[in-house]
Amino acid sequence: MRTNRHLTTTIPLVLSIVLVPLTIGMAFWWTGEDIDQGLSQKIFYFHVPIALTSYAAFGYGAFCAAMYLWKRTEVWDLRSYVGIHSGTIFGTLVLITGPIWAKASWGVWWNWSDRQLNVFLILFLYYCAYFMLRFSLDEGERRRSASAVFALLGIGLIPMSLLAVRVAQTLIHPTVFTSSGAAMPGTFVLTFLVGMAAMLSLMVLLISVELRGKRAAARVLQLQRIARGEDA
Amino acid sequence: MIGAALTIARVKLVLEIRRREVIFAMLLFIAATIVIVHFALSGDTGAGTRAAAGMLWAAVVFTAVLGLLRTFSAEHEGGVLDALLLAPIDRAAIWLGTALAQFGFLVVIEVVAVPVWWALFFQQDGPSIGTVVVALLLADIGIALVGTLSAALALGARTRDVLLPVLVLPLLIPVVLGGVTATYGAFGEEVGGLQPLGFLALYDLVFIALAWGTSDHLLGD
Repeated sequence: MRTNRHLTTTIPLVLSIVLVPLTIGMAFWWTGEDIDQGLSQKIFYFHVPIALTSYAAFGYGAFCAAMYLWKRTEVWDLRSYVGIHSGTIFGTLVLITGPIWAKASWGVWWNWSDRQLNVFLILFLYYCAYFMLRFSLDEGERRRSASAVFALLGIGLIPMSLLAVRVAQTLIHPTVFTSSGAAMPGTFVLTFLVGMAAMLSLMVLLISVELRGKRAAARVLQLQRIARGEDA
Repeated sequence: MIGAALTIARVKLVLEIRRREVIFAMLLFIAATIVIVHFALSGDTGAGTRAAAGMLWAAVVFTAVLGLLRTFSAEHEGGVLDALLLAPIDRAAIWLGTALAQFGFLVVIEVVAVPVWWALFFQQDGPSIGTVVVALLLADIGIALVGTLSAALALGARTRDVLLPVLVLPLLIPVVLGGVTATYGAFGEEVGGLQPLGFLALYDLVFIALAWGTSDHLLGD
């Protein structure tokens, strides 16, 4: 068990240390410059993997929430919380890198007719509310269930927001930017994949470090109680 | 199950008729919201404008949130909720009954507010009112469902009144998008036929399913 826990931290740690600098190196020195966007296109190797990783973290959080409702063991609640927490951290990065890219390539900080941006914003607002809900309930069974149900509802919200934005967009906003970059050179794709792996391992690392921290804190509390003689 | 839900909904509506706690507040609120949005857009809300549609939907959603603040509170204060939880009925029935009552409140508000909105902003060129009514009814189902669900989650939270709008509003963004698009359609814009209405119906179904699946975990122990 102990070695197992170490591995879930060590492996992503090593991977992150290798892959994050590798992505930076590949993005800036290996791939050529995009003809249309020039240097600003480099943020693609970070922004898009961060966004997908954020979705993955929210997905992990929702999956653990479902597991909690099924198994009713505290550890799933903790995992769900930590997953959503790291999803929000990556989400914040998305909302920082997105506007930078938008400003550089579209000339505006935010583009309300871009589908991904809007859906992401809705989801981000939603999962920020998760923390408000969680921290205004007293610790215990009720808080764990309520958090889990809320985390799960997000799974319904993602496709609904996607659809809603699409329905509203069909004719309200003209589709200004179409994805004409289907024919990306191989170097671009490979760098993107390395970036994706880097961000995912960073996410796993964050989740496992935070989980260890939380477990340690819980253990300290328990030991304090034993020391005071309240709990055998 | 359905019988229990209907009973709970009836009790809530009868209580509301006697006490008049929520509906009048909601009516005043929706009127004030419409006026505020109208002036906030510097009066640029004439017939057939998108602002006129947006105004209606913003007002409906915010008013619904106001009404939601009182859901479960009567039960919570009087200890009725504990009794309901002990009663041999499905938990889903409690939630469904409450959502039904909430739906009823919304319909009552809209029966008053929509004609006023129409009269104030569309002297000649009215939208096809049928589409707006269907969109509102479909949206009300979704709002009542999702709202009741969130109210149940926020039950027992220290900052319940502040928390509830924060929980509900992101969930309702798709409803506003669908509703507003449907209303543009009613103004004669080309919005892909019944697509927006279909979307609102789908939203209702998805959240009915999700709420049903999780209702056992909703109202505490």
